[in-house]
Amino acid sequence: MQPLAELKPVVDEAIAPERPIIQVSGLDHVYPSRDGPVHALSDIALTVGEGRFVVIVGPSGCGKSSLLMMLAGLRHQTAGTILCSGRPITDPDPDRVGVVFQEANLFPWLTAIDNVAFPLALRGVSRAERAARANAMLELVGLGDAGGRYPHELSGGMKQRVSIARGLVQDPPVLLMDEPFAALDEQTRMAMGEELLRIWSATRKTVVFVTHSLTEAVYLADEVLVMSARPGRIVDRMEVELPRPRTYEMMAGAVFGRLRDRIWQQIKAPAR
Amino acid sequence: MSLGAMSPGAVRTLIILGVLVLWEALPRLGLVPMLFLPPLTTTLVAGFSDWRVYGAALVVTLTEVAAALVFAVGGGILIGAFVGALAGPRRILLPVFSSFYAVPIVVLYPVFTAWFGIGSESKIAFAAIYGFFPTMLATAAGIQTIDPNLVLTARSMGATPVQRLLRVILPASIPTLLAGLRLGGALVIVGVVVAEMLISAAGIGYLVTSSRTVLDSPRVFAGVLLVLVIAMGFDMAMRVVERRCAAWGGGAPAQVPRRRPIARETGQANAA
Amino acid sequence: MRSSLPVLLGRALLIAAFLGAWEALPRLGVADPELLPPFSTVLGTLWGLLARPALRADLAITTVQLLVAVAVALPVGTLLGLLLSENPRLGAIFDPLVFFLFSIPKSIFLPMFILTMGIGFWQKVAFGVFSTVFIVLMSATAAVRAVRPDHVFVARAFGATRAQIAWRVYLPSMLPILLEGFRLAVIFGFTAVLLAEMYASRTGMGHQIASWGENFMMDRLFAGVLLLAIVAIVLNEAIRAVEVRCSHWRS
Ligand SMILES: Nc1ncnc2c1ncn2[C@@H]1O[C@H](COP(=O)(O)OP(=O)(O)O)[C@@H](O)[C@H]1O
Ligand SMILES: [Mg+2]
Repeated sequence: MQPLAELKPVVDEAIAPERPIIQVSGLDHVYPSRDGPVHALSDIALTVGEGRFVVIVGPSGCGKSSLLMMLAGLRHQTAGTILCSGRPITDPDPDRVGVVFQEANLFPWLTAIDNVAFPLALRGVSRAERAARANAMLELVGLGDAGGRYPHELSGGMKQRVSIARGLVQDPPVLLMDEPFAALDEQTRMAMGEELLRIWSATRKTVVFVTHSLTEAVYLADEVLVMSARPGRIVDRMEVELPRPRTYEMMAGAVFGRLRDRIWQQIKAPAR
Repeated sequence: MSLGAMSPGAVRTLIILGVLVLWEALPRLGLVPMLFLPPLTTTLVAGFSDWRVYGAALVVTLTEVAAALVFAVGGGILIGAFVGALAGPRRILLPVFSSFYAVPIVVLYPVFTAWFGIGSESKIAFAAIYGFFPTMLATAAGIQTIDPNLVLTARSMGATPVQRLLRVILPASIPTLLAGLRLGGALVIVGVVVAEMLISAAGIGYLVTSSRTVLDSPRVFAGVLLVLVIAMGFDMAMRVVERRCAAWGGGAPAQVPRRRPIARETGQANAA
Repeated sequence: MRSSLPVLLGRALLIAAFLGAWEALPRLGVADPELLPPFSTVLGTLWGLLARPALRADLAITTVQLLVAVAVALPVGTLLGLLLSENPRLGAIFDPLVFFLFSIPKSIFLPMFILTMGIGFWQKVAFGVFSTVFIVLMSATAAVRAVRPDHVFVARAFGATRAQIAWRVYLPSMLPILLEGFRLAVIFGFTAVLLAEMYASRTGMGHQIASWGENFMMDRLFAGVLLLAIVAIVLNEAIRAVEVRCSHWRS
């Protein structure tokens, strides 16, 4: 073996053989607050390979959203570096990263199609191109005929689809998703998971997906990162070696159960 | 058909008709002195036969209203937006202003007549102050109901501060601005008329008071009725405008703040 | 919620700046002291006025009119509000009418009160009641709506009697909103009574203010305005303090 290869961490070698697109190292974050500083994230290091579906799972309040906000350039970390496509992330860069939040956050005064086209409008893309690209995205998420509706005329699941379409419309290589289905009911949530996997395999984006649901994590992921309670650190990472396309039946299988159990053991141990 | 079986709307119409009939009949039958309550027809005839006088007074009043509106609503919305949007000024100013809200502004009117005389200036100054505080407080409260996640979302798409203001904060504030205009306008109308009633030489309020001093009840009632029609007309017109401009909110401006708690209940607890 | 020190400091600074400007502008000759007497002068005048029995009598009559008006409007408005919100039929018929009456401006009806009732004590009380009763009514309806049906169900499931439900579920849920309505009634009632006194009266603070204004007695006029502003703010803050306390033992 080459000595150069031995310098690389074995774990990364095994888990992310693809070209890394996100590299985080030594990430630390402390929030100042009235009751003293809150240590939200501690010594986070992670690498996301291009085209992978990575799920970060952890208990409520462990800093998942904070981490995602930093990956999106929406918040500045106290210490550490975040590289995306080899360059540091300091401010939101829609060319590199698209974001989908827990709530769809659609602009209520815009129709579905105008919501999807909004990021393009910000950059002065021509009206015709805007319409064409937004329409294509709505088709992709299965809402081709709902473009004229206002957000209050859409169901929760439809809103979140529009939000995903909006996150993808600028064609960023990376899509960050912060518990995007947490506000949906169980059935819609399952359907949206399936839908997301379909969209993902159609676009081959890199997805970093945050959730507190163990089932969702195992069902969606190539790779699961488990975070501990505050201060959040990554306590485990595992490869999900279930074949794709994933099916509902897999959830009852032994592999699925073992992985979910392993995450549960990590999460529950330090909690109270 | 018995009263109990009728639809509420029909009963209501009946009640309103009954009131109008009583308004006509009671004084005619001598059950109520004409001085206290001139019959409806007498009132209307008095108003319409003097339409030149009322028309000229209306011009004076409406001119004063328009001028006061600029100060009250313009100033109220500008300062309210400023106070509501910025945390520092909000925490310092809002409690002071809402304490001030308790002060009976009407006692300032003699100050204005002493300063500006009994012409239009004192009415404009008084009505402007009268409409300013409620408009400002309503705007400050309304601006705070703008979902901060919308701004965050725009930021994640790389919106510049100017784009955030023009494309997110401004459209999101439209319901608040219109509601502020409706509230402020109503108060300004009342403020001008009350000021004219107290001390003046022209306008609808003056007409009412001078009719009252000579115990000309029909003309008092006609004047009050005219003011009522103006105030209600303004309110209805503003409601139509609000419904037009805020069609995206599902009709009612109140929908904007109402949506959040519902989402919070169905969503996961974010700050457990 | 308690405010931090810098916020309190900022607020104090703001008020100091306002009073400072009031003092400085006429003293520096920027404003005509005849039209805007300095704050200290006004304070001195106020002190002198308060020593006079005639002024205290005016203050008393205004206060009594306000209190009587609120004392009438409060039970009447609350009862009507309860009636409309607990009886669906009545509510369906009268709610739009009541809302209409709530939203129309009341001050413009003042001349009619004078035509029918003259310019005495009861006319001002009646106008005060008319100006406030719909506010109380609306807040009573809102208060009933604030009672959550699931709380009532829970209480009933545990075998609470009607009286217990009224006392332990309805009252605590409704009290904060009723108090808010009470506070607004006092504010609007105060304005109504003062307006009625300014419009046509021989007594009361409103009458005094109006006649000081007409006679260009600016230092007295400002003293009166200052006094009434202080009274209104103190009343308002006192009721608000009770409100805060009540919502405390609610949660
Ligand atoms: N703006 C902030 N100021 C202070 N503390 C914060 C802020 N945002 C989040 N926190 C705290 O940081 C911790 C992590 O929050 P978050 O990233 O939202 O966690 P998660 O998304 O995993 O639930 C929590 O304890 C939260 O209270
Ligand atoms: Mg979160």
